[in-house]
Amino acid sequence: MRRSDYLIKRTGFALATIFVAITLNFFLFRVLPGSAVTNIAHVPHASLQLQEALKHQFGLDQPIWVQYLRYLQQLAHGNLGVSWADQQPVRTHLATDLANTVPMLTLGTVVAIVAGIATGVVAAWRRGRAADYGHTGVALLFYSFPTQWLGLMLLILLASYLPAGGMSDPFLIGAGFWQRVADTTRHMLLPSLTVALTLYGGYALIVRSSMLETLGEDYVLTARAKGLPAKAVVRRHALRNAMLPTVTLIALSLGSIVGGFILVEVVFSWPGIGRATYEAVVQRDYPMLQGTFLVLTVSVVVFNLLADLLYFRLDPRVSE
Amino acid sequence: MSLLEVRDLHVWFELGHGRELHAVQGVDLTLDQGERVGLVGESGCGKTTTILAVMGLLPPNASVAGEVLFDGENILRRGEETVAAYRWKDLAMVFQGAMNALNPVKTVGWQLREPMQLHGVASGARADARARELLGLVGLPASAADRYPHEFSGGMRQRATIAMALACDPKVLLADEPTTALDVMVQAQILQLLVELTERLGLTLLLVTHDLPVVAQLCQRAAVMYAGTLAEAGPIDQLYHQPRHPYTRLLFAATPDIYGEDDVQWIRGAPPRLDRPIPGCPFQPRCDRAFAPCPTERPPLRVVGPAHRAACHLNDLDSEVQPSAGAGSRA
Amino acid sequence: MSAVLPETGLGAEGEVGPRPSRVGFMRRLFRERPSALVGGALLLLFLLVALLSKWIEPYPIDAQVGPVFGPPSASHWFGLDDSGYDMTSLLIEGTKVSLIVGLAATLVSMVIGGGVGIAAGYFGGGVDTALMRVTDYFLVIPDIPLMIVLAALFGSSLFNIVLVIGIILWTGTARVIRAQVKSVRQRVYVDRAASLGAGHLRLIVRHILPQVAPLLIANTVLTVAVAIFDETALSFLGLGDPTKVTWGSIIEHAFDRSAISVGAWWTLVPAGLCVSVLTIACYLLGQAIEDALNPRLKVAHLSARGFRLRPLVGAGRRAL
Repeated sequence: MRRSDYLIKRTGFALATIFVAITLNFFLFRVLPGSAVTNIAHVPHASLQLQEALKHQFGLDQPIWVQYLRYLQQLAHGNLGVSWADQQPVRTHLATDLANTVPMLTLGTVVAIVAGIATGVVAAWRRGRAADYGHTGVALLFYSFPTQWLGLMLLILLASYLPAGGMSDPFLIGAGFWQRVADTTRHMLLPSLTVALTLYGGYALIVRSSMLETLGEDYVLTARAKGLPAKAVVRRHALRNAMLPTVTLIALSLGSIVGGFILVEVVFSWPGIGRATYEAVVQRDYPMLQGTFLVLTVSVVVFNLLADLLYFRLDPRVSE
Repeated sequence: MSLLEVRDLHVWFELGHGRELHAVQGVDLTLDQGERVGLVGESGCGKTTTILAVMGLLPPNASVAGEVLFDGENILRRGEETVAAYRWKDLAMVFQGAMNALNPVKTVGWQLREPMQLHGVASGARADARARELLGLVGLPASAADRYPHEFSGGMRQRATIAMALACDPKVLLADEPTTALDVMVQAQILQLLVELTERLGLTLLLVTHDLPVVAQLCQRAAVMYAGTLAEAGPIDQLYHQPRHPYTRLLFAATPDIYGEDDVQWIRGAPPRLDRPIPGCPFQPRCDRAFAPCPTERPPLRVVGPAHRAACHLNDLDSEVQPSAGAGSRA
Repeated sequence: MSAVLPETGLGAEGEVGPRPSRVGFMRRLFRERPSALVGGALLLLFLLVALLSKWIEPYPIDAQVGPVFGPPSASHWFGLDDSGYDMTSLLIEGTKVSLIVGLAATLVSMVIGGGVGIAAGYFGGGVDTALMRVTDYFLVIPDIPLMIVLAALFGSSLFNIVLVIGIILWTGTARVIRAQVKSVRQRVYVDRAASLGAGHLRLIVRHILPQVAPLLIANTVLTVAVAIFDETALSFLGLGDPTKVTWGSIIEHAFDRSAISVGAWWTLVPAGLCVSVLTIACYLLGQAIEDALNPRLKVAHLSARGFRLRPLVGAGRRAL
């Protein structure tokens, strides 16, 4: 009974955070320096008449809380506004962009998690020896590289072997489905690799730390006392427990994953939601910027919730 | 032939920067089948390290010398390799279950079944049934097998670790402070349980504790450790009434606290550092009977009575030097 | 049972750290942990370069002093950029400004985060809940998108950048400090019976702050690295101060002005390496301080290397 309380509590928190983000989204864009009209309607130097008309049209002459309610209402209908760059609905752009980002990001993140866990476990197991210093050193190195710089370095090093940017070859005309998949995959390798390298370092350090902590726990000694071979102790007892704080810390790193892939998409011109954010900033396309911020925040909150649920599954002690 | 014999056991821990801690300095113990023997001493005297060494459960920065003979075989012959074969099937350990000896993310039943399956004692449904039997044996409901450790109180967890230790029918049970950190009522129950089990199952028990009333209640013989060495060893009543080492005398002559909780704290001073060699008797700085040879010569462990040994220069003087202990008497 | 090492009277310290003498602590820290020494030395080096920048820059940073994209040479150690500016001077200037941003933003986050953490931990109850609720929301909302939005909306002067970064980073500090304050507060209250009439402020400043300070410092060091990384990200996305030279802006220029396609790696590599080295230095120092404050007393019960056997030399002590 207490455990289901936890689920409800975390879900409630997730929803509340989304609500806070939505509200933030609204108010930030309303407190801009400069005229609201200029900013919202994107019509600089309008005549006074036009300004008044636009104000009315956009509901900017209403009190702020009315505007807020209208905003929420529109959001509830899935209306995220219209991009100033091309007059298309923000919603459509976001859908495509998100679809482009997900495979690239998933590949990179999964590789990072697997590599991070493997490295961390080995380093903890061989603590104080050459393997530990080696693995930890390399992890620290990759952790310290600025993401965009790492991407550019990979670009320099591997540009002759892999496509330097974009998601597809513009000259690939009339190609079959598998050819296109192969082409997209080739384009995906560098950005995913950058994401993976950037993330794995941090994860390796976390897992190592976690494992070291766990290996000093009494139940590990108990397992050894029972006659379990060392590998089995690590696999069955230590690893499972070390994963608990790891899941938490990975969840906390979701924010930096987002930062990371935005930079990666800019470096490699990957047409995903990160690059969309960037272009929205460059073009001062505020509706798009609002839209991408919302999507990114909601995604992080959702994944945080999933991590909470995963933790809940793994740890029988969780209750409130 | 004794069931378990520890001969001249030494344990060192590396401290880094070339320094070393000589935690156990030449300890001898024997246990015969069915005996209950206590290993007592204050915190840090090396008693826990000793029994961990018996099962080869030392950390990587440790080194060991000496022999541990189980049924005549030196199980430490090649270190971890040889000793691992004896774990849980022949020698089992009860840790301080109130803390973290049980894995928090596995059910109690699972943890009981694990060694059974590992050592081929039972598997599948048979293991499950046996696990529930064992839980019943220690006074826990069979349904406890499906619960997680955090759902139990300290006393119940301790019972569970005892059940777990019995999973593979060991011959020797090593118990490390099984009742510390439990309240008195529960302590008494656990002790009672241990007595029953050892008698019923013919177990041999080596009980490590700093709690003297517990030893007095449970054990027939005891060994007293101080600063990594054996100060005295012998039958319980001898240790109480005819101690042949000032430390033992001071220890056993203490008026027991009615809750039996307090460690003996009123021997002034503190144990010596073990990272430097000690020239004479380690207890000498705190001893009320120290004399000429004590600071410079190590007293050897000498037979002072039937099955009774002590390491004190006072025993070399052929006279009645130890006043019989009455409660609260201090020379 | 958890400490396999018996207490030896070697100055084993109590649970919530006694008040170590400041100097003694520092000396012990640097003597026992070479990583702290390395980290500290590197940081000092960067600080020196930043402080002495005006005097050690070989060329002005805004004048063409050589061929465009000139390679490294004796007179230009790090070559020249796309406008013929000397890279060495740019890097030195970048060190100064990046460090200013990093330290200033960290100061902001430390003040806010420390304040919130202390208040929450000290007062507990409703104050704690309210503050932590806010902190939790900000923890989940992804950093970089929020920074992007704030920077895009409020302009890119150095001052604004510092504020934006500081506002994002305070949450991490707040959590850590709160936990520490809570554990210390119990002791302080018991020690200094509040019945003495000591006011809250006095209690906080005289008793809690000194206990919390070392952890705050460790956290600060680690935050500086993050702040500098964030600045490079913002610069890369065009949100940095265009009038200032930072490591981030150097990387951004290398990307923007086709330095890569021309093969002018010297305009890219050193700046990223500076960030990397600084991050590693911060990590080493910060981690060493944290480890010194919370020594891991547990020895690993399991490791690749097992205990060793020694042949017995010399007479054992046998019963006669």
